[in-house]
Amino acid sequence: MEISKFIFFKCACARLVLLGSLGVMHAVAQHAGWNVPVAIKKLPNGLTVVISEDHSAPTFGVCVSYGIGFRLEPEGRTGFAHLFEHMMFEGTPRAPKGTLDKVIEGGGGNNNGDTRYDFTEYIEAAPVSALDPILWIEADRMKTLDFSPANLENQRKVVEEEVRVNVLNRPYGLFFAIDLPGKAFDTFPNSHNFYGEFKDLDAARIEDVQKFYEQYYAPNNAVLAIVGDVNTPDLFAKVEKYFASIPSRKTPPRPSLAEVPQKAERRSVQTDKLARVPAIAIGYRMPERTTRDAVAAAVTGELLHNGQASRLYQELVKRKQVAISADGGLNWPLGNPFEYNGPTLMVSFVVTPPNVTEDAVIGAYDAAISDLAKKGPDTAELKRIRAKMRSDWYAQLEIPISRASLLSHMVLFDGNAGRVSAIPDEIERVSTADIQAFVSKYLVPQNRTIIYRAPEAKK
Amino acid sequence: MKLSTFLHPIAAALLATAVPACAADKGPPLPKDLPPYSATKPVSAPAVQQLKLDNGMEVWLEPLPGFPKVAFSLAVRGGYDMDPGNRPGMADLLAAVVSQGTKTRSAQQIAEQFQAAGGDLTATASPDSIVLAISVLNDKAIAALSTIGDVMQSAAFPDQEVEIAKNNAASSLQASEAEPDFLAKRALYRSLFGNHPYAVTAPTSDSIANTLAADLRAEYARRFRPDRTLLVVVGDFDQAALTSAIRQTFGSWKSSGTEPLPAVAKPAPSLTRAMVYVPRENSVQTALYLGTLGPKRSDPDYAAARVANAIYGGMFGSRLITNIREDKGYTYSPFAQLAPLRETGVLVTRADVRNAVTGASYNEISYELNRMATTSPEQQELDSAKRYLNGSLALQLQSREAVARLLATLWVSALPPDEIGAQSRKIESVTPEDVQKAGQKYFPAARMTVIAVGEESVIRDQLAGFGFEFKKAE
Repeated sequence: MEISKFIFFKCACARLVLLGSLGVMHAVAQHAGWNVPVAIKKLPNGLTVVISEDHSAPTFGVCVSYGIGFRLEPEGRTGFAHLFEHMMFEGTPRAPKGTLDKVIEGGGGNNNGDTRYDFTEYIEAAPVSALDPILWIEADRMKTLDFSPANLENQRKVVEEEVRVNVLNRPYGLFFAIDLPGKAFDTFPNSHNFYGEFKDLDAARIEDVQKFYEQYYAPNNAVLAIVGDVNTPDLFAKVEKYFASIPSRKTPPRPSLAEVPQKAERRSVQTDKLARVPAIAIGYRMPERTTRDAVAAAVTGELLHNGQASRLYQELVKRKQVAISADGGLNWPLGNPFEYNGPTLMVSFVVTPPNVTEDAVIGAYDAAISDLAKKGPDTAELKRIRAKMRSDWYAQLEIPISRASLLSHMVLFDGNAGRVSAIPDEIERVSTADIQAFVSKYLVPQNRTIIYRAPEAKK
Repeated sequence: MKLSTFLHPIAAALLATAVPACAADKGPPLPKDLPPYSATKPVSAPAVQQLKLDNGMEVWLEPLPGFPKVAFSLAVRGGYDMDPGNRPGMADLLAAVVSQGTKTRSAQQIAEQFQAAGGDLTATASPDSIVLAISVLNDKAIAALSTIGDVMQSAAFPDQEVEIAKNNAASSLQASEAEPDFLAKRALYRSLFGNHPYAVTAPTSDSIANTLAADLRAEYARRFRPDRTLLVVVGDFDQAALTSAIRQTFGSWKSSGTEPLPAVAKPAPSLTRAMVYVPRENSVQTALYLGTLGPKRSDPDYAAARVANAIYGGMFGSRLITNIREDKGYTYSPFAQLAPLRETGVLVTRADVRNAVTGASYNEISYELNRMATTSPEQQELDSAKRYLNGSLALQLQSREAVARLLATLWVSALPPDEIGAQSRKIESVTPEDVQKAGQKYFPAARMTVIAVGEESVIRDQLAGFGFEFKKAE
């Protein structure tokens, strides 16, 4: 899992509005700017297929997103959804370990997987000449896996090295992504360590892998998105050929993810054995994704954090010089402000110079928030952030593999592929008053969690 | 994630005729009903329009209608290699402050004008160049160009901005010194290059403290000149309108006298086996870096060395990753890369491994390096690596920003846009003998400078049996 600065992308709306079994819809959303062509179809086994043609290069991208992520992994098995993701690359009875990479890389392509709170995705990009074998590979691992204890043991070690390289051996240890939700939320699904405690990773058995696969890795719990130099009717036919025979299975009912409302500010202090300068993480609980406030929240997150023109950069780094960086946003760092499906935070991650106090940073931060609540963005600032968010959104749609990922998540959550083209317009409709109302209601101390993390004192 | 940030090698325009993945090799046979690859469609190399303004500034344009964005990349020749000897890494400060105010615009105004166009300017110093880049909405491209022009020609380096940037750079350096990869790369480049300017990977605290606003203004005048600048524009634009705007923006840019490029000596490869460790308390892993000099882009060995690197450790199915990750589980993200600079290449292997397998990991890495040096690749490995490299290029060419960056990088190495297609064809023609020759020349483990960042006692214990003379990084 990669925690570089995530440029945002993605979606939201009703609950699965899937189209009739074999009906095909060509939805071209309607912005004067730029529209993404999409066709969507649901196979009889419940697999939803989304295709977006793009003939600008002889390449394609594929994403299969399954409706399972960190939130739904079992208690006592923290990190399991991600460990499981690794097992999806470890072969099947028909395509043993090593085959997948041989086929994909030997076809000029590359592949990867990502586990997030609300989905696990498998992605490939390649020249179009590799389309058929790659679809075959994806269909093959949707049928069954090689449930091999030896491979589980191997990937348990690899995942533990992943946790070491990204958490235990790294300054700050992703505390803004792991510890912050841990303190901000109260229920297991939203608050547990998604990378996994080693005792839980060590306790995972091959039977758990098998059961998880049977529960969640069914075609009716997946969306397959394909983008690139393809012909839509031909490709639907190919997809049916490779995927239609996979039987659907009953998936567990979705549990409640609700949190009891937060009543007071939560603050804590940590020491860091590796970091050399202090950092602060601030997380505010956010409105539900499908509300109008959620779009105002997305825009506010970008006003505060997006680039050198952003309010926090200008205020904390430039004017008051209490920070060396100020990153963050809604659903940061594990996704864009439109792709979450449960309780989520707006996060700010601020690294400070060594001699700056926690109070100085929080004071400057609160002044920036309070200014936004009082005055809101003026017309010029609002126009700028709309342009920046539109441009960033398009950037997520440029490359086939990334467009496929975005489409698959949108359809997984809401069944609405057309929203990829609608989001820039939703952003345009957010007004200064909407932002002021959002900030006054949500960006308040009793709705936030703060962790201050300082280098351990030298002995 | 299966594997974070993987390298995306650079070259190619025409994909080979794809062979169904079935050639004999040691692994299990491919599934019987796996469909074959279909006929390969050719990838066209970027069709670049090249202009040269009267003042010597070069302009490379690639119009790509459709997707509504435009990527700009501006390369200025000279990076760390032009920094004064007592100001190593000063180019970082030059890059950090160049966009923080001009004669007519404040830093905030510049940032806001770029944001209004849908972009955020980055400026990055490297050993050979400083590159400015931004991607904007197509209908705001000409507006953005005017601000870019101001930054390139009239940066003011205001005292207050220089002060902020220096403080920020000093704190950032302190923060970075907690990162194993920062420490490892710094130690590796210092060991490989000694007094050569390529030894620099970041400024020192002294060079940050000693650099004054006046120094930056003087360096800006010396380096930011039309006759050593390239502007690359890739994306959805009207060529006539953009060309006219470029002439209007940059046509009157003048520089006085001539400023020769720094004479960067060809770095001499160190043939002695060196082991340098960087003590880092509380480390639960050792970051191992193994590095040596390799061919530069224009070297006849370059394509073969890239193919060799892909077979060795440059793709997921490579020998190194199969061995130390997928077989032994020592590490999550091992990789090997051939990084080209203007005057040389740097071949680097990296793996972060848990403390207890530091020695075992070094042993396996050495084994795989020596295997490259002593044996010929299997046909299947060779075919796969070639298709992977050229496929990666086709995928890279999907992104306007990546194309602009690639073209700027080629220009810094004095190579034409056609090099993209030429490299692809060279990759195609690499033979098993070429790979073995590159293996013999560049891959022997004894040729590597070894860097280990972690607990000193772990490094000493774990690597004790390999006959190294341990040297602590300065």
